[in-house]
Amino acid sequence: MSDNKLWESCLHFFENSLPPQQFNSWIKPLIFEIKENRITLTVPNSFTLKLVQERFLPEISKQAELFLSSPPTIDLRLGSKNLSVKNPDIKNSVIPSTEAITNAINQKPVKNQNKLNKLLTFDTFVLGKANQLAHAAALQVAESPGASYNPLFIYGGVGLGKTHLIQAIGNHVKKLDPQAKIFYVHATNYVSDVVRAFQTKKFDEFKQFYNSLDLLLIDDIQFIADKPGTQQEFFYTLNTLIDGHKQIVITCDTFPKEISGMEPRLTSRFSWGLTVAIEPPNLEMRVAILLQKAARTKTQIDESVAFFIAKHVRSNIRELEGALIRVEAYSKFHNQPISIELAKESLKDLLASQNKQVSIENIQKTVADYYRIKVVDLLSKKRTRAIARPRQIAMYLARELTQLSLPEIGGAFGDRDHTTVLHACKTIENLRNVDALINSDFNLLNQTLRN
Amino acid sequence: MTQLLLNIAPEWVPTLENFVVGRNVELLSALRHALAGSSSERCFYLWGETGCGKSHLLQAAVGQARVAGQSAICLCRAVPQAAQVVAVDDVESLGEAAQVELFALYNQQRENGGILLVSGTQAPAHLQLRDDLRTRLGWGLVYQVHALNDTEKARALAQHAQARGFSLPQEVSHYLLRHGRRDLPSLLAVLDALDEQCLRLKRSPTVPLLKEVMEKTL
Repeated sequence: MSDNKLWESCLHFFENSLPPQQFNSWIKPLIFEIKENRITLTVPNSFTLKLVQERFLPEISKQAELFLSSPPTIDLRLGSKNLSVKNPDIKNSVIPSTEAITNAINQKPVKNQNKLNKLLTFDTFVLGKANQLAHAAALQVAESPGASYNPLFIYGGVGLGKTHLIQAIGNHVKKLDPQAKIFYVHATNYVSDVVRAFQTKKFDEFKQFYNSLDLLLIDDIQFIADKPGTQQEFFYTLNTLIDGHKQIVITCDTFPKEISGMEPRLTSRFSWGLTVAIEPPNLEMRVAILLQKAARTKTQIDESVAFFIAKHVRSNIRELEGALIRVEAYSKFHNQPISIELAKESLKDLLASQNKQVSIENIQKTVADYYRIKVVDLLSKKRTRAIARPRQIAMYLARELTQLSLPEIGGAFGDRDHTTVLHACKTIENLRNVDALINSDFNLLNQTLRN
Repeated sequence: MTQLLLNIAPEWVPTLENFVVGRNVELLSALRHALAGSSSERCFYLWGETGCGKSHLLQAAVGQARVAGQSAICLCRAVPQAAQVVAVDDVESLGEAAQVELFALYNQQRENGGILLVSGTQAPAHLQLRDDLRTRLGWGLVYQVHALNDTEKARALAQHAQARGFSLPQEVSHYLLRHGRRDLPSLLAVLDALDEQCLRLKRSPTVPLLKEVMEKTL
């Protein structure tokens, strides 16, 4: 009997006996290997390790006995840790102590792990108008790292998929070249690594590691702002990698020149390659995201339900996914299929808290604060560009975010005619397509007001 | 002369069992499943008005995890180290530096498969926190903790009295609910004071005694 058949049999058993979510979370990520009578299961984290040990080992052992001539020995492996578990006598199995697990949990990442999340690939990235440019650039970089845009700088608001895209680049490069030295690091961890290297006097090792990479993916670079030591170190790494034609991909919550507390020489280098934005998803894209997420967790949802959720949760993808999780949990708890009614019921607390209507006064104040002008200027007859443009943006936002009629909006802006409002809306709509700065301003104000 | 009391009142520990569930049945079930490892959801954000039971639930979840031999910690207005179960109570009081710590902790817990429970008074979208942290809190399971209605509060009071070793007459409970501050922590504090006074004076818990206690504590 082939080794694969044994594991297939185990998978088949658990797929039928566990809810899909549990099967996907605990069983599917296990990596199975067998040598003679010794089975090795590699588990992604210490929590899964304990869970597998306590709940699933007896059945795995039982299944193995059907295929093997003698009772097997099962090793559970966590990273470099080996915990030997003799089977089938589960009572004698080694349950790691709380301390061991805490240590495992607190274990610092081993430098040779690339920290890539296998689920975040280009295949699972939902494409739309809001992210197609960033997606195209990312794909090009992933196809030929170091040869096209270097560094690739992806920026956008929170929860819009920057991490997904950067991880997808890593996974794609890994697929094309399994030997490539890839490392994903969140900027906060990069800062900690720099500090630790200083404290432990292992700076050469640290430098050697980062300089030897083929692909460095650094997420949320804004976190190294106001940290001159880390910035200096990152500057050297950036130069070394770019000079060596190694790829760097950076994400940030804003475009390079806008990052406060960052050395100019760094922000200027960030702009050397290509800077692309990810914008908030539109309704259709939010629906597509929900449908894909539901398919991943094998949850049945109708397009109409996805539309309902997407229409009401507009701020960012994380909260959108959070809403779907809540609907799924409610459906499971009440043992009812997901319908619009059920979605309404399960999200009623969340929706009630969100339905605070945005007022026109609030829009005027937020826009005035953003452009550092006075609200009275917005309402005045002044027509200089510095006042007129923010006024037009405020009118456009009022049309998007309130239920007021155009005459009412005009009335609220110093008794202007509704055709002025219409003109403002058309102007901003056109400008958003050609002027990245106006578009970015709009997105930021829109997100601020919605939240 | 006032009778001194021995400090041997039974220690009251918040548990999932002694939480008067009210309208929070689904939340309690979701927590139990997460702690038992039978659900893949690891991050919870609980929100609701002050005194609705958020701290009770966080401490109870951490207590249950400890009993099960897991590493678990609950801190209020501070961010602990990573563990299998970590709870951060009153997230809105965290300063800028602590919010960065919680952001890092969130990512760490997610990566390690540990459970993270966070509480606040506002729904995620209205939290005055860093954007990256606020959106992450809205990414997991979000539940509003609904405060108890008067009937449920009366039940919670009776249960608390029983845990302290005395039975609470209905009229006392009603009087307290009609005249005292009606958030649960305040009600329970009056009840504790009433119990102590009963022991000191060797009297039963009655409405007149409750009035005395309330006058003293107010």
